[in-house]
Amino acid sequence: MRTDRPGINQVMKYIVLVIILLYIALLMVYTSGSNRPFAEVAKEVEQALDTANLTKMDGQALKRYYGLNSADYEGVLLYSSESAMSAEEVLVIKVKENDQVQDVSDAIDEYLAEKKNEFEGYVPEEVKLLDDAQRSVRGNYVFLAVAPKAQEYKEAFNKSL
Amino acid sequence: MLFSSITFLFMFLPVTMAVYYIVPKKFRNIVMLFASIFFYAWGEPVYIILMLLSILLNYFCGQDVEAKKEDIGKARRSLIFTVTMNLLLLGFFKYYGFLMDSINAVIPVDIPYRELPLPIGISFYTFQALSYIVDVYWGNVKPQKNILYFALYISMFPQLIAGPIVRYVDIEEQLENRIVSGRKLGQGALYFIRGLAKKVIIANMVGQIFEEITAMQIGSFSVLTAWLGCISYALQIYFDFSGYSDMAVGLGKMFGFEFRRNFNYPYISRSITEFWRRWHISLSTWFREYVYIPLGGNRCSASRHILNLLIVWMLTGLWHGAAWNFFLWGVYYGVLLILEKYVWGAVLDRLPSVARHIYAMVLVLIGWVFFFSPSLGYAFEYLGMMFGIGASGFIDGQAVFLLYTHWLLYLLALIGCTALGMRIINRIIGAFVHVRVRMTAAVVVYIGMFFLSVAFLVTDTFNPFLYFRF
Repeated sequence: MRTDRPGINQVMKYIVLVIILLYIALLMVYTSGSNRPFAEVAKEVEQALDTANLTKMDGQALKRYYGLNSADYEGVLLYSSESAMSAEEVLVIKVKENDQVQDVSDAIDEYLAEKKNEFEGYVPEEVKLLDDAQRSVRGNYVFLAVAPKAQEYKEAFNKSL
Repeated sequence: MLFSSITFLFMFLPVTMAVYYIVPKKFRNIVMLFASIFFYAWGEPVYIILMLLSILLNYFCGQDVEAKKEDIGKARRSLIFTVTMNLLLLGFFKYYGFLMDSINAVIPVDIPYRELPLPIGISFYTFQALSYIVDVYWGNVKPQKNILYFALYISMFPQLIAGPIVRYVDIEEQLENRIVSGRKLGQGALYFIRGLAKKVIIANMVGQIFEEITAMQIGSFSVLTAWLGCISYALQIYFDFSGYSDMAVGLGKMFGFEFRRNFNYPYISRSITEFWRRWHISLSTWFREYVYIPLGGNRCSASRHILNLLIVWMLTGLWHGAAWNFFLWGVYYGVLLILEKYVWGAVLDRLPSVARHIYAMVLVLIGWVFFFSPSLGYAFEYLGMMFGIGASGFIDGQAVFLLYTHWLLYLLALIGCTALGMRIINRIIGAFVHVRVRMTAAVVVYIGMFFLSVAFLVTDTFNPFLYFRF
């Protein structure tokens, strides 16, 4: 790259700086988390849920389904269907340390793969729900929704932050 | 991507090395650059853009500083702009949440804010970029004209994520001319395997003991268990970070680069001053060259010198993390260094070597409590337990059990903290008279260490590098 023309470096550094600012603005809009307490976020997500087919689960269910200990996280909200024929699920986890995000994401990957394996062949509409699962990582929050209204739930989660 | 991961060891590294050694010499930097970008993007698919933009910004700023050299005022303004932008970027990603939390803690209302996760390695690559820009301004180096070479300097995968912090002045020549040889490849492989073994066999195992102890409720364990927890952390962080640094130095050698060592047996130190000459040498050197000396160093009045030390150590503490415990950890060392310089340094020098060693280690261990604690409150409670306040007795079954079941690990770790460890390995290999037998012995010992490390990796999921979070 030719950078020996007088002034070009000065112009380029400002251009790059503007791009950096735009990039940070995009990050803030699409990937940032928030400092809102978990209870407030969980409450707003719960209000958006259609609970006809979803039941609130405890830490034991998190351990059973995902192999994760709820005590390791700042907050966990898990809704799941009690019917063995349904894959519906909503999960919100706020991690304590950012490096836990990867563990949670890996656990979700495994869970979705296992569920797909279970439903494949005999409940194709549930496999479709699993394929269309909505996921999001926003700062220290990890979100998963497997439901016909998954997109709506994800929007409620994004809004709650 | 972790060095100590199967993906890195058996896919990324062999493929990168094969391509690097096959292509003509003039393409090697490009191979290395693309490998480095891939390596970073593997773990940070979003923040790779930030790193590339940071490279571009610093590249153009470096050229701009050089172009304005004839007008010192303009050059200085260009330098200040670059340093400010780098520090603002680092500050935004690393300290913004901390600042907002601190403000929220003292004002009656909670200001809501958005937070972004910390981009991995940002502290390391920002400091490398700053060293480059300042050295260009001082005239110690010429700005790098080739943007690919500059990008390689900032993003080089062996030291990108957790150091050592390589100063541009140390690597400028190597970016264009370096020796890649079978001998260096072999030496690098030995470094790498030693680092891997330090991390996987020792750091991860003592780390598990530390986790076990600190998972217990404060007040539910004894003084001895509290010390054991602290010693386990001290061993974990040393073997973790120095292991990573050894792997970085080794990988550098394998690709023809020479990085300076980052650790020199810090736990054999007999003073805090000596400890900081041996621990995280690249960071201490950076702060000395770019903060301490420009502030006036020790060539000034005693009060100014004390202020300089406190500034440097506050910054060193905050560099490690955006939290008050890191700040206090830095100030703690600043105060100790001032005391050694102005109060008890002369007395300390007259003490027997063993007493000086105990003095240094006790103070270092106390320092680690601030470092590993999630909050200041926890740090003081834990420290209290180490000195009997709130502990459940002096000794308990937990401590006895941990010592009984892990004595060999602790012994191995303590030997590994000294030069004795290397001497033992070299003695085993050197026991054979014939060169060929000796070489075979070396291969057997190191291959053994490598496969043992891989076996640990496969069976153990506990595998974080502590310095990734900085």
